[in-house]
Amino acid sequence: MKSVGPSRGFSLPPISASLLGNGLKLYAVPLPDLPLVSIHLIVPCGAEADPVGQAGLADLSAEMLTLGTKKRSSLRLAAEMDGMGAILSAYAGWNVTSLHISGLSEDLERLLELLREIYTEPAHAPEEFEQLKQRRIGQLIQQKDESQIIADERFQQTLFQGTPYDHPTYGTLESLTKLTFDDVKEFYRKSFLAPGSFLVLVGDLSLDRCLPWVERIFPAPGGKKPEVRGFSPPSSRGIRTWIVDRPDLTQSQIRLGHMGIPFAHPAYIPFEVMNYILGGGGFSSRLMQKIRSELGYTYGIYSSLEPRKFPGPFAISTFTPTDITFPCVQEIGAVLRSFLDQGATAQEREEAVNFFTGSYPRRFETLSQIAQRIIQAELHGVGVEYLSSYPGRIAGVSLEEISRTAREHIHPQDLLAVVVGRAEDFRKAFESLGPVEVFQ
Amino acid sequence: MKGLPEFSEHRLGNGLRLLVGEARSLPMISFQIHFAAGSRYERPGITGITHLFEHMMFKGTRQVGAEEFSRIIQANGGSLNAFTTTDNTSYYENLPADRLDLAARLEADRLQNLLLTQENLETEREVVRSERKLRSVNSPFGLLVEQLVALAYEQHPYRWPVIGWDSDLRSLTLEDCREYHRTHYAPNNAVVVIVGDVLPDEALRSVERHFGPIPSQPPPRLTITPEKPQRGEKRAVFKKVSQVAAFFAGFHIPGIAHPDLIPLQILCVILSVGRSSRFFEKFEKPGKAVEAQAEVGYPPFFSMDPGLLQLSAVASPAISVDTLEKEIWEETEKLREQALPEEEVHKAKKQARSYFLQGLQTLFSKGLLAGLYQVRAGDFRLIYPLLDRYESVTPDDVLRVARQYLRPENRTVVTLQPASPKEHEELGKVE
Repeated sequence: MKSVGPSRGFSLPPISASLLGNGLKLYAVPLPDLPLVSIHLIVPCGAEADPVGQAGLADLSAEMLTLGTKKRSSLRLAAEMDGMGAILSAYAGWNVTSLHISGLSEDLERLLELLREIYTEPAHAPEEFEQLKQRRIGQLIQQKDESQIIADERFQQTLFQGTPYDHPTYGTLESLTKLTFDDVKEFYRKSFLAPGSFLVLVGDLSLDRCLPWVERIFPAPGGKKPEVRGFSPPSSRGIRTWIVDRPDLTQSQIRLGHMGIPFAHPAYIPFEVMNYILGGGGFSSRLMQKIRSELGYTYGIYSSLEPRKFPGPFAISTFTPTDITFPCVQEIGAVLRSFLDQGATAQEREEAVNFFTGSYPRRFETLSQIAQRIIQAELHGVGVEYLSSYPGRIAGVSLEEISRTAREHIHPQDLLAVVVGRAEDFRKAFESLGPVEVFQ
Repeated sequence: MKGLPEFSEHRLGNGLRLLVGEARSLPMISFQIHFAAGSRYERPGITGITHLFEHMMFKGTRQVGAEEFSRIIQANGGSLNAFTTTDNTSYYENLPADRLDLAARLEADRLQNLLLTQENLETEREVVRSERKLRSVNSPFGLLVEQLVALAYEQHPYRWPVIGWDSDLRSLTLEDCREYHRTHYAPNNAVVVIVGDVLPDEALRSVERHFGPIPSQPPPRLTITPEKPQRGEKRAVFKKVSQVAAFFAGFHIPGIAHPDLIPLQILCVILSVGRSSRFFEKFEKPGKAVEAQAEVGYPPFFSMDPGLLQLSAVASPAISVDTLEKEIWEETEKLREQALPEEEVHKAKKQARSYFLQGLQTLFSKGLLAGLYQVRAGDFRLIYPLLDRYESVTPDDVLRVARQYLRPENRTVVTLQPASPKEHEELGKVE
C-alpha cells in the first residue's frame, strides 16, 4: 500500500498568535472561503473547579452570561443575535469556560463588541437565573429517559468518585436544586478572565482589521485561577458491576472501563494509535469486528480515551439486546485479553497510522474545528506547534510501543462495568465476575 | 455562489449521472453515490429492506472481503458511511484527493459484484434489530414519531419507518435482498458526486473506467400511492414509561420541488429557531415546555413527496400537556390571522441564510446538497437560487403558507402519556 500522509499539499491554516498590550492572547485564522466567522473567548477555568456539592456551577454560570447585559435584556440580546443570523453559546468543559459566537463576517465588529459586553457587563438578572435553573431541571428530568446518558453519567460518577470529575459538567438534579444566584455571581467574580484567557477568531477576517479593535475593547486578564486538586488512578479494585434497573428496556446500555492516562502523558499518542486498533477505528477495530461483524450483538461498539488534564475515562461503549448482555460483556473481555496477549500486527499499525495522518486535514475543515484544535493545544499548554508536529509523531509510533502501551494502560482485570437495562435478566450472571450493585 | 462550487454534469452511456464540483481548500475529496432507493419504494411485508440492504453493501464482494471496504478506506486516510432515508440510500467516502480512483473502484465493485450470503444476512438482521431498539423502541420519542407518521399517512409509503417494522425485519429473505439489488442498484438509478480537490476530466475518467462497464437495468416499476388530502384532525395516545408528557403533531406539506417549502422553513424559524423565537420566549423560557419545536427540514433534507411539518413539545412538570398543546395552537393561530411584522420575517431570513452558509463548510455537505437535490428534486441546479429564494420571502408568503398548511383539519396529533413500568408491561411487548 502506498503510504498516506498530509505531505501531499496540506498545510495548516494560517494561524497567527499575538499577545496584546493588555496581556490577552489572540489567535486569528483568516479563511475567506465563506462569509462566516467563528469567535471564541476562552477562560481556562471549568467544571473541575465546581466546589464539592455544587456540581454544574461553572456551566450554569457560563450560560447566565448569555441572558442579557447591563444594556440589553435577554430578549433584546437574543433578538440582536438572531437578527444577525448568529448563534451565541456558552458552556463549561472540564478545564475551560467557552463563549462562542458563530455568525456572518459582515457583522464581525458588532459581534465582537457584543461578546465583550456579554462577558464584562452581564446583567445577572435574578429572574433569569430562576428561569434558567428551572429549564435545566426540566431538561435533567427528561434526560432520565435516555438510557445512554444514564449509562454515561453513572459510569463517570462511579469511576471518578472523590475526584473533581465525579459529576456531569452540567450538574445533577440534586446539585442544581441547591445552587443559588449568589453562587453564580461569586463564581463569575472569581474566574473572570482568569490568567491564560485568550481569544480565537477564525473565518473571513483579517488580523489588521481585528487586532487594534480587540486590543481597545477587551480588558486585561487578571485574578487567579481556582485551585483544582489533582489525582492519580487508584490501585486495582477488580471487576465491579453497577446495574441501573430499567425493566422497560429491551436493550442494555453497557459501559466498561477504568481511568486512563492524562493528555500530557508521554504514552498519550501511542495510546491513540493503540485505541484505533482496539476499538476506536470503527470497522477496522478488533471490538467492532468481533462484537458486531462476527457476532451481530450490536449496531456499534467503540473504545475511547478523553483528553483531559488529569486521567480521563478509558471507556468501551456499546448496547445489545437484553438477553445477550452478559455474553456481550464476556466477548469484550475476551477481545481485550487476546489483544493484550498478542499485541497488534504490523499491518494494523500501518493502517492506523495511515488513517490518522491521511485524515488529518479533515480535522481542519470547519471554522469551529480549527478553533477547537487551537483551543485544545493552548489549554493543554502544548502550543500550536503541536498541531504541525502531530502527524509526524503519530507516524513515529512503533509496533512495540503499541503493544507496550496496551499492556501498561489497559487493565481487563480492573474494569468498572455499568449496565442500564432489565436487571433480573442478567444480574446473576454478572455476580460470577465480582461484586454487583443494583440501582433503581 | 461563494462557497458552493459550480458542479459539472456528465452522463455515462449506462445512464449513470456524475456531478463534479471543484473546491480546493483541502487536498481531500468527498466521493458519494446516491441511489434512488428509499423506504418509499418498499411495500408492506418488506419494510426496512432498503436500510437492511444498505448494511449488506458492506459485507463484501468476490474481490473484497466482508467489512474490508471500510478497512481499506480508513487505511487510506478516509472515513466512510452510508445512510438510508425515505427517498434515497447514500454511500460516501471522504478521503485524500489522490485516492479518488480507489473510492470509484470499490464503489463500482460492490454495485456489480456484491456477495449476498445467508450468514451475512442473519448477522446484519440482528444488527439492524439492535439499531431499531436503539433508535425507536428504547429512545424516548422514537415510537411516538412512528405512530404519528403511521397515523398521518394512510396510503403513501411514508407511513412506515425507514428502519422497518420488527416483524418484517425478522422475515426478510435472501431472495428479497437479491431482488432489491437487481431492481434498485443500477447505474441508471444512481448519481455519483465528487467534490473537492479534483479536476472534472480526471473524475470522469476514473468513474468511466470503473462504472462504465456496468450494464443499465430496466427502470423500477413505481407503484407509489399518493396521499389524499386530510379532511379532519386525527389524534392518538401513546403510553410508555416516561418522565415527561409530550405531544407530536404533523401537518401535511408539499415535497422538495414545491416553492412553498422555503416560506414554510422561514415560518418554522420564526416559531422555534433561536432564543428570540416565539416558542422559546413563550414556552421554553418561562419553563412551560422543556422543548418546543417546529420543523420542515432544511435543504437538502426536504422530502421528495409531500411530507410533514412536525411540531412537537415536551411539557415541563409545571404544566399539563393538554394545556401546553392548547397554548401552542393559540400561538400558531396568530400566524394565520395577519401578516407578521417585516422585521420578524427579515430576522428569520437572515438566520436561514446564515445557517445555510454554515452548512456548506464541509466537502461532504456540499456534495450532499447537490446529490440529494438531484435524486429528490430531479435537478441539482435548484441549489443555486436557494439563498435568493430565502431573500424573496415576504410576510404575505408566510401568512399564506400558515393559512394553507397549519389548518387544524390538516393536523395529526399523538400524545405521550407516561405509564408506570407495570402498566407499560401490561400493554404488551414493544419491539
